[in-house]
Amino acid sequence: MKLKKKTVMLISFSLGALLFATTALADMVNKSGYEQLKDGLKVTAEKCSEELDSFTLDLSMEVKNNGETLITSNEVSKFDRSNNAQESFSSQESVYGNDYNSYNYSDDKMRIRWSEDQDTYYVTEFTNERDQSYYNNPFKEEGAEDIERIVDAVVGSLKDHVMVEENSDGGKELSGSLSEMQIPALINAFASFQLKQQFNGRQSNMPHLTQDIFVKEISGKSIINADGIMESMLGTALLSGKDKQGQVHELSFEILVKMSDINNTTVTMPDLTNENVVKEVERPGYGPEITNPEKFQGLFKNDILIEKDGQYVKIGERYINITHIDDSTISGRYYEEYRDDYEQYTEGALDFRFDASFERDGRQASFEYTTETGKTTSGNLYLDEYIGKLNFNINQDSRSMVYDYMFSKVFD
Amino acid sequence: MAVFQAALINEIEKLYKKKKIMVAIIISLSVIIIGQLIIVGMRTGFGLRGVGSVEFPILVLSVVVNTILPLFTALVAIDCFSSEFSNNMMRVTLTRPVSRFKIFSAKVTTIVFFILFNLFVLFVFSLLAGFLFNANSATAIGLFKIVISYGVSLIPMIVLALGIILLTNIFKNGTSVFFVSILGFLILKAGAVIFSQYSSLFITSQLDWYNLWLASSFPLNTIVNQLLIMLGYAIMFFTAGYYLFDKKEY
Repeated sequence: MKLKKKTVMLISFSLGALLFATTALADMVNKSGYEQLKDGLKVTAEKCSEELDSFTLDLSMEVKNNGETLITSNEVSKFDRSNNAQESFSSQESVYGNDYNSYNYSDDKMRIRWSEDQDTYYVTEFTNERDQSYYNNPFKEEGAEDIERIVDAVVGSLKDHVMVEENSDGGKELSGSLSEMQIPALINAFASFQLKQQFNGRQSNMPHLTQDIFVKEISGKSIINADGIMESMLGTALLSGKDKQGQVHELSFEILVKMSDINNTTVTMPDLTNENVVKEVERPGYGPEITNPEKFQGLFKNDILIEKDGQYVKIGERYINITHIDDSTISGRYYEEYRDDYEQYTEGALDFRFDASFERDGRQASFEYTTETGKTTSGNLYLDEYIGKLNFNINQDSRSMVYDYMFSKVFD
Repeated sequence: MAVFQAALINEIEKLYKKKKIMVAIIISLSVIIIGQLIIVGMRTGFGLRGVGSVEFPILVLSVVVNTILPLFTALVAIDCFSSEFSNNMMRVTLTRPVSRFKIFSAKVTTIVFFILFNLFVLFVFSLLAGFLFNANSATAIGLFKIVISYGVSLIPMIVLALGIILLTNIFKNGTSVFFVSILGFLILKAGAVIFSQYSSLFITSQLDWYNLWLASSFPLNTIVNQLLIMLGYAIMFFTAGYYLFDKKEY
């Protein structure tokens, strides 16, 4: 009798162990939907950065309020890895009106950019051929594994919401959706708070959400082809909130990323004949270089003001005479002139010569100068090509006058 | 069967007399009240809705299922076994003409009843609070889902209780069982984060498994998998626990 009891117990325990082990094993062998989703992303990133010759990425986004579109934006990027060339078209339309259309092209030798509002092609030719890759694999960056672990932990039990459906062509479809009941309260609160910051009423035409804000639904769908490449990914979020009048706004956010024309994309340089073209030269790494710094040679000035009886009064002018400028050095003279009525301010007026070498960018330079009293102080200048002015700063003792650090060129 | 029933009633009465149930109810209520206060504060302070009437019970469940519910389960399990070992109540129990298997089963069933009762109290009061203080978002399906969530949460709790019962039969001292349980719980929780790909094997991760039942597209595979894993655990824990209980000399 005793033996029989023991046998029963042994059998029962083994049964439990077996049940556990087989299920666990099956669990390990069968990759969960979440793991397959991660694999899809990793394989796609790796293939894009190492294997595929060319591909097209289409990224579009849409925000709707109660079914009415607020913002749409779209970006189509074509990558040609074999020629290291890339072009992209992007556009945005929104009800609060900062619509744009722009185009970019770049390869080893040049970069071209165009935008609708200027209708001018800005062509930057690189003096040295650069070798830059557009296809860094984010999963190979340092710290990627740690980030992955953190994401896994945050996703937590939501992992089980990714469903997998095998397609007949060997690919698969991953999908998942979370309703408000399944979204963890903390995530919901955080997302709602972000949304409230976003729709704070500062932008006209956008709803101003003040109360009862919550995430209603989040869903996603992704198609992985037979090669393991993620061909499309659609994410939707539905949020709800009320404005001050108590009207309910349902905001929907949609993001769609599509990958197409794999190994079948051609990147073509735009034909620039009969177009407005502005040429810029760039040295690798340091931003656009000034094409001819000599245009800054000559006399620059601005006004010296004081405040008198609640009004600004001009009492004189400050001058900078750039006598010599080239790619690496700049020299000139700084002096001040006062009007006859304000001779009393002449005391302490500066008049000095300076010599300076440009820093690497060819725009900025620091110098030292000696005042008439024999004191050595420093200053710096910057050639602002964008507004065509000279930015000139000297560390001088504060005086009662109002100085401007931007100097405009003097034309006769 | 009549013997088993008698043993069961005996166990339940012992549990009832110990006032642990009162404490469990009071603490469960305070959790609900504090949770509701936080939600109301968030709503008036930040303008976030927080939760609707149907989501509140789920929020409460997500908190208690990882905190006070396992805690009370551990306390009651320890009470049913360890305290009886130490104050020699067990000898009195065992002198009755009831087999050890029946006594063991009666004790396990009592603990299951306790968990069920605790879940029921939480369910009723969180639902009540949810409807009284939150924007109405109730649908028949939503209500059904809450019932399901609370119902299925019983299963991983039972597995946890069986695990703790095994511990009470390994260590004699109730205090050490309590601390080992808490330590084990924390280690398993941390382990599930670090080895997230194996997290489905840890019993502590199954505490959240009611989430699976809420999924929009019913993940039958995963649910069956988890159920089998829990069943495996339960059988092993029960057998091992009973083996030790049976072998013990008083």
